[in-house]
Amino acid sequence: MNKSIVEVKQVLTAYDRAKYPFMKEAAEHVRGIGIEFNELEQDSEFYRPFLDRAEKRVENALRDVSSYAKIKPANEMSDGEKEIETFSFPLAVMLTVGTEDSFIKSRFALAEAKRASALLKGEEKETLLHVANNFDWNVEDFGLEPYVFAVSFPVFLKTATGFHDKRWKLVNQKMVDGKVYLTKQKASRLLEEEVRKYVESRLDTKIKYLPPSIMARVMRLRQLAAEKQEQIKREEMPDRVVMEAFPTCIKGVYERVSAGRPASHIGRFALTSFMLNIGMSEEDVFKFFRSVSDFNERMTRYQVEHIGGTRGSGTKYTPPNCSTLRTHGICISPEPECNGAVNPLVCYKRKLEKLPEESPNEEK
Amino acid sequence: MSSLSQSFIQERFADYYKENSLSIMPPSSLKRREFGFLLLEKKVMLRHQSFLDAERLRAALFNVVPSDVYYSSAYYERPEEDMRNKGWLGADLVFDIDADHFPTPCPTVHDFWVCTGCGASGKGQHPQKCSSCGGTKFKEKSWPCETCLAAAKAELIKLVDVLMEDFGFSSKVLTVAFSGHRGYHVHVESELVWELDSLARKEIVDYVMGIGLEAEFHGLGRSLSLDRMLAGPDLNDRGWRGRVAKGTYDFLSAASEEDLMKTGLKPQQIKPLLAYSDEIMESWDTKGPWGVVKGISPETWKTIAQYGVEKQSVKIDTVVTPDINRLIRLSNSLHGKTGLKKVELPITGIEDFDPLKTAVAFKSGEVNVHVSEAPQFRMEDETFGPFKRQKIELPTAAAMMLLCKGVAKVVQ
Repeated sequence: MNKSIVEVKQVLTAYDRAKYPFMKEAAEHVRGIGIEFNELEQDSEFYRPFLDRAEKRVENALRDVSSYAKIKPANEMSDGEKEIETFSFPLAVMLTVGTEDSFIKSRFALAEAKRASALLKGEEKETLLHVANNFDWNVEDFGLEPYVFAVSFPVFLKTATGFHDKRWKLVNQKMVDGKVYLTKQKASRLLEEEVRKYVESRLDTKIKYLPPSIMARVMRLRQLAAEKQEQIKREEMPDRVVMEAFPTCIKGVYERVSAGRPASHIGRFALTSFMLNIGMSEEDVFKFFRSVSDFNERMTRYQVEHIGGTRGSGTKYTPPNCSTLRTHGICISPEPECNGAVNPLVCYKRKLEKLPEESPNEEK
Repeated sequence: MSSLSQSFIQERFADYYKENSLSIMPPSSLKRREFGFLLLEKKVMLRHQSFLDAERLRAALFNVVPSDVYYSSAYYERPEEDMRNKGWLGADLVFDIDADHFPTPCPTVHDFWVCTGCGASGKGQHPQKCSSCGGTKFKEKSWPCETCLAAAKAELIKLVDVLMEDFGFSSKVLTVAFSGHRGYHVHVESELVWELDSLARKEIVDYVMGIGLEAEFHGLGRSLSLDRMLAGPDLNDRGWRGRVAKGTYDFLSAASEEDLMKTGLKPQQIKPLLAYSDEIMESWDTKGPWGVVKGISPETWKTIAQYGVEKQSVKIDTVVTPDINRLIRLSNSLHGKTGLKKVELPITGIEDFDPLKTAVAFKSGEVNVHVSEAPQFRMEDETFGPFKRQKIELPTAAAMMLLCKGVAKVVQ
């Protein structure tokens, strides 16, 4: 193979740190300068812009993941602004941890990951290499268009097995000598997952004490998250849909998708067909998918319409039977209402009947 | 099985483990492995055994005299505990090629079934229902015949090629062995694979077998050059790209009109394929046959390439590899169905390897047996059978094969 090792960037510029604040070098930079917890406590003039930006990060992640990802820090930023971008990341992590809310945590991790991935797609090869090696991918440059580099197959599999798409099957990759060749698109998508997992791991902790001024910010974020979740339920789930009566299998997929996590094809199929069968319109279901995660608009619309029967065969699909859901590991903890049921719709109906009369959803 | 035959097998197995004790080499990281012994008399598995050193393992084999010995591909913190408390640390990557898992031309010659209800028997695969008693449970007997073993070896050669060329494993981390029955095992011991979960290992199975492969991801599609519409993989490409080309070449060079019909191609698509077969073959020297003949659509080429994939697909047991707690037979231990031993072979010597010679464990003495029914088989350089209800004196290895298969009894 014609390997031409290009000199790999050793040091991140201030601009790089602003774009990729999750990198080890950015973290070291922050540590090197140090944040005084005492001063944070005062929410001093000096720290306010950092904290404001940190809160904004989480807030934007909660409001709209896809627009969060589209905002690119401008190269023309002042040095101070670049530092704010960089320092606000660990502060945003602190705020998110402080909320102790899993919805906020997944949304924030997802938004940061999407943002990184969108930025990476516009980068030169050497920056991708640098970010990849930040996650110990151990990759080198080689001059083989259209690929940016090749990664060892276990690294590829660790992430790609979660994607459930034929484009990501190992058998459909170019693999030679244990290395999977990646285009810029694919490398960015895999790195996005690395960033998401990394941010989630940073969020998987607890903070014993936060100063009141910071707690005030945390409370605002919690409030916003509650509103956002309520909004998703209200707007996307029509009144006749009773989420409390969802069988655990469907609820499991619903929660996964709501948190913006990848779900298996059969999981998405089960959720979509279930929602369409309990009275949601195709538009409702479509809006639900749009609101909760990043998604391919055309693809989602096509799939929803296909399952709903307005496209393709013209038949409306029912959810897969319980036995199928068991085989695919979607049925994890059956409930009493599942007894003897063959389909999750049966369980839903039974749970619906058991709900107290005064349920507000039932009255309408 | 008569108690005489059973104790005969037991004694010979005990002799083997006594005399060949030093040939039993423990797997790497012995202390981290779980061992399982299948017991001769009851055919139950003694699980969750673990050993501190080779001596203790050898002593256990001699004392227990199991019909089959297995160890875990996985490494555990506490291998002697039950599954929940073992503390999984990682696992080697293992592959099993077994002639039972792909069609060979000969099962009707040597395989037969016995109805457990009434004892009726027949050749080939068992029926769904026994025609005599209506029973649905059958015992099946398959044989380590030459044709089946050759077919398994062909798969082994393909597998080793994929593992070395595509996965980049060096011969140092690969162990290849004849299972002692109808197939081969490949064992990859590399830090790279230890932590792979079951899903990742399933992806490796799909890779090796070409499952889910779509030729468009390997270069089959619209061409950017002006002289033709389609481009596709080249014989010199590496990885599956090259395999798609090689498989397609193999398929097209040997396909009769009938074979092509079976692909579901329509007569008007098959016609140009046959009419221009010379041009198609010559095209492999340049850019391959893709789009070289007018009237064959890209979709048709995809269908043809799929048959090429099938030719290159390695037929492995799909259950073994994704199982991260799998027990595998120990090298140089005996196989309870044949009395042969599992033997390792050098990667450079696969072509010339003769399992029915190398794996023979019992090399001396003769035994008088009564054989109920057995097909012809070879052991070392001698051919035996077929037998039907007859008494005969056989060399120990041949007799052991029939005794272990349960088709013969020791007679005094």
